[in-house]
Amino acid sequence: MEFYKSSTPKIDFPEKIRGEAKFTDDFELPGMLYAETVRSTIAKGKIKEIKLPELPKGYYWISAKDIPGENVVNIIFSDWPIFADKEVHYVGESIGLFVGENKEVLHKLCRQISVIYEEEKPVFDLVNSYIHKEFTKGDFSKAEKNAVKTIKETYETGYQEQAYIEPQGILCYIDEDDKFYLTGSMQCPFYIRKAVARALGIAPEKVRVKQPAVGGAFGGKEHYPSLTGSQLAVAVNKIHRPVKMCYERFEDIAYTTKRHPSVSTYEAFIGKNNEILGLRIRVKLNGGAYKGCSGVVLSRALIASCNAYVFENLDVVGDVYCTNTVPTAAFRGFGSPQTIFAMEMFIHHVAKELGVDPLQLRMKYLAKQGDITTNSGKFHDPIILPQLLDKAMEMSDYKRKVVEYAKPGSNKGIGMSLFLHGCGFTGSGESTIINGKVKLVKDENDHVHVYASSADFGQGNRTTLARIVSNTLGLPAEQCTMEAADTDHTPDSGPTAASRTIIIVGFLMEKGAKQLKKIWKSGVRQEHVEGYVGPSYIHWDEDTMQGDAYPSYSWGVNVVEVSFDPVTYQIKVDHCWSTYDVGRVVDERIAVGQADGGLLQGLGYGYLEHMGIKDGKFRNRSLTDYIIPTFEDAPPMETAFIDNPFIYGANGAKGMGELTLVGGAPAIALAIEQAIGHKVNKIPATPEYIMEVINNDKR
Amino acid sequence: MVEKKIAYTKKEALDFLANHDAYIVAGGSDMMVIKKNVAGYAPLFDKDVLYVSHIKELANIYEDKDGVHIGAIATMHEIEHHKLCPSLLRKAISEVASTNIRHFCTLVGNIANASPAGDTIVIDALLDAKVKLESVDGVRLVDAKDFVLGVRKIDRHPNELITEIIFPKIEYTGELWFKVGSRRADSISKISFAGYYEVKKNVVTKFACCFGSVSIRPARSKELEAKVVGLTLEELKAKQPQIAGDFAQIIAPIDDQRSNKEYRQTVAMNIFNKFIDDIVGGAKQ
Repeated sequence: MEFYKSSTPKIDFPEKIRGEAKFTDDFELPGMLYAETVRSTIAKGKIKEIKLPELPKGYYWISAKDIPGENVVNIIFSDWPIFADKEVHYVGESIGLFVGENKEVLHKLCRQISVIYEEEKPVFDLVNSYIHKEFTKGDFSKAEKNAVKTIKETYETGYQEQAYIEPQGILCYIDEDDKFYLTGSMQCPFYIRKAVARALGIAPEKVRVKQPAVGGAFGGKEHYPSLTGSQLAVAVNKIHRPVKMCYERFEDIAYTTKRHPSVSTYEAFIGKNNEILGLRIRVKLNGGAYKGCSGVVLSRALIASCNAYVFENLDVVGDVYCTNTVPTAAFRGFGSPQTIFAMEMFIHHVAKELGVDPLQLRMKYLAKQGDITTNSGKFHDPIILPQLLDKAMEMSDYKRKVVEYAKPGSNKGIGMSLFLHGCGFTGSGESTIINGKVKLVKDENDHVHVYASSADFGQGNRTTLARIVSNTLGLPAEQCTMEAADTDHTPDSGPTAASRTIIIVGFLMEKGAKQLKKIWKSGVRQEHVEGYVGPSYIHWDEDTMQGDAYPSYSWGVNVVEVSFDPVTYQIKVDHCWSTYDVGRVVDERIAVGQADGGLLQGLGYGYLEHMGIKDGKFRNRSLTDYIIPTFEDAPPMETAFIDNPFIYGANGAKGMGELTLVGGAPAIALAIEQAIGHKVNKIPATPEYIMEVINNDKR
Repeated sequence: MVEKKIAYTKKEALDFLANHDAYIVAGGSDMMVIKKNVAGYAPLFDKDVLYVSHIKELANIYEDKDGVHIGAIATMHEIEHHKLCPSLLRKAISEVASTNIRHFCTLVGNIANASPAGDTIVIDALLDAKVKLESVDGVRLVDAKDFVLGVRKIDRHPNELITEIIFPKIEYTGELWFKVGSRRADSISKISFAGYYEVKKNVVTKFACCFGSVSIRPARSKELEAKVVGLTLEELKAKQPQIAGDFAQIIAPIDDQRSNKEYRQTVAMNIFNKFIDDIVGGAKQ
């Protein structure tokens, strides 16, 4: 359908350009109070005593004692307290809130409070595993026995900060229906509703969560607002006045969740014909002080550990380690950027070591339809990676450049990554756990209102989901509106995460619209609710990690060209080319927006975004010191999509939000390797690291 | 309670400073960040404040026998695009912060806040600029090189206002400005370097250079520079390792959140050597 290829204006643009869009900090309510968090100043210890300053009239101290329900944040694994009560486990952990009408006074109170600790020795190294997963594929002992040699390397990846434009913020009050009403910068309204209900010990229906305009999320607003939302609800429950808490940039960078740093060791068992008989993979993630969603992040890291390649025999083990640092959690890619980086570097290095062409070796192990996946499931759908590769190489003139830049002293490099990303929740989770629903309401004027809990935080959901409906119904785009996510009025279509919005929620929209079309009666109000029924052939066992890890996969190729300055060890990204199979594109401009933005975030992860940490405290606590790419750093990007429609996706569309990030780091790291003539085993590959690598190899 | 004064004439400003120990705010791009309060509230000044950005007589850029005078409230953007201003200064400014910040930050503010990572203070020191300070008691001129005393410490008396910086005219045949930031724009220097030279009949007749961000003050040694002057290009080439070794002693970089000591030391000297290579190779910058 040609319609899909074109682009419509994003419906949130006019209100944002005019400054009319209301973000959390724009809401002012009569009698509204503000909150500021009192945080632990030590990495580990017991709280002996809290000496409160004298509170001015109208100011409140909110702490664990005020929680009527459970003192845990409802996340996948609920071990993170809403307020630290007897002990603290990281620098910055919330101990309580000061609430009152003047933010300056609150700030002063936060400096006056005195918390007496009995300090304990914190752990910062990866020594205490608190989540362990493992699985094998094929017969690994056979690979071990038949190997004539092994090749082993270790890769490290650092923290990554989401660096959304709008810092975390949330607002809570008791509404006219006597419900706890929350609005804030969020990805998953129903997660917050559940968390608040648990914190207050009330029914979820007594909580209403509505999404305002949100300035970016990248995973950072998947779980964290459940913490701040619970904290504010506890405050409102005590004070009975509206309370708002918006973090400033410093607080957001210093204390909110980031991407898991990782250390991965890959060992290849090589047979006598230079074939890879099997891989032994060991993945370590730094989970910080609390588990939260780290178990799922680890799962997805391990599932992606062979990236787009198929090996017969595998021995895969992963652990998440508890450290006395800020908990790590969701971030675009959710575990896979770490292992995809490792796998892409490893296969390249193995090829070099074996003296074969890296591209040839990758082609040899490239996944094909019908192949057995890393987790012993099956690649059910057609795989067009060879076409994506050909197209990317043609666009970038890869074959010529990779030879030309190999000449010593060229100070140029070209790198290519191939990658996949699983769409939707792990395994059959979309049918068995999420069971998402959407609702379509046609009013008397034949205007169609689209309801789902999928939040639009800038990526364009409100435009694309409405467009799927209008396309299916054959209506002009303006006759279809997607309403803001609101737990009282929108069905739970699941969290806005896991690259699931278009493939899962979009699919529901399309099915629902088809149904509505069948029963369409002009001038009459009609309503239709559609529930998810996924592919029946998807089976997954979370305990053994065996089966089909995802309903479907999206695929991509990134080619990155860089120049290296031998005076400063700096890298300049000269050009990028990408090809993607996202099933079928719904709206080309929005898809390119995801592609360019995701790649730039992936490149930043690979060579710029260094987050130092010392004694459990982040060192790069501002956007001056935490370096994300600017427009000047962004290279020209050329992107092509190749159709490969998925039968359970909206008009064939699959997921793409995370796919576009995961290939950036390995592509640029491989380009840097060629430009500097040395191996890159760690990201971000900053000039300081590059200098170290060159000097170490000289010695 | 702190007193806040917006001055519209130089006299008003000097009279205020005669009996107030005050912060002086021109563009505010540094001061408003350092004294930042919680969002939505006025900055937290712990002593009196004098705002000088409305004093029109401090906005001038002009030339006379002493050189080019740049007034205290001339913005970096104005200087960057002003033909009278030294080209090294304009090059350095083009890489300061971002376009929007350059529209309100000032050259004088950059030397007044005396950050070790300041970019234009390297040029001030290299070009033998003079800082002009005025008070009700009179006028004082201080060499820019000596004006910065340490990290955020300057040679200004509480009753003085920096009114301008004066750049004497220096003629030379080649120059180099080199900034190493963390990214290509909107970046604070890890290392900066500025230098100029003159070569006549194969002999170095002028040579000066200054390092930034690798010690608490811009690092320049006129003594070492003098040893280069008079060398033939062949001699310069032959003595390059020794000269570089000497200059390496005048910097003392540190580890911080932006970079580390080893990187700063190595790259600073790589840039120095590039500068010497340029001279020997006859490169015109």
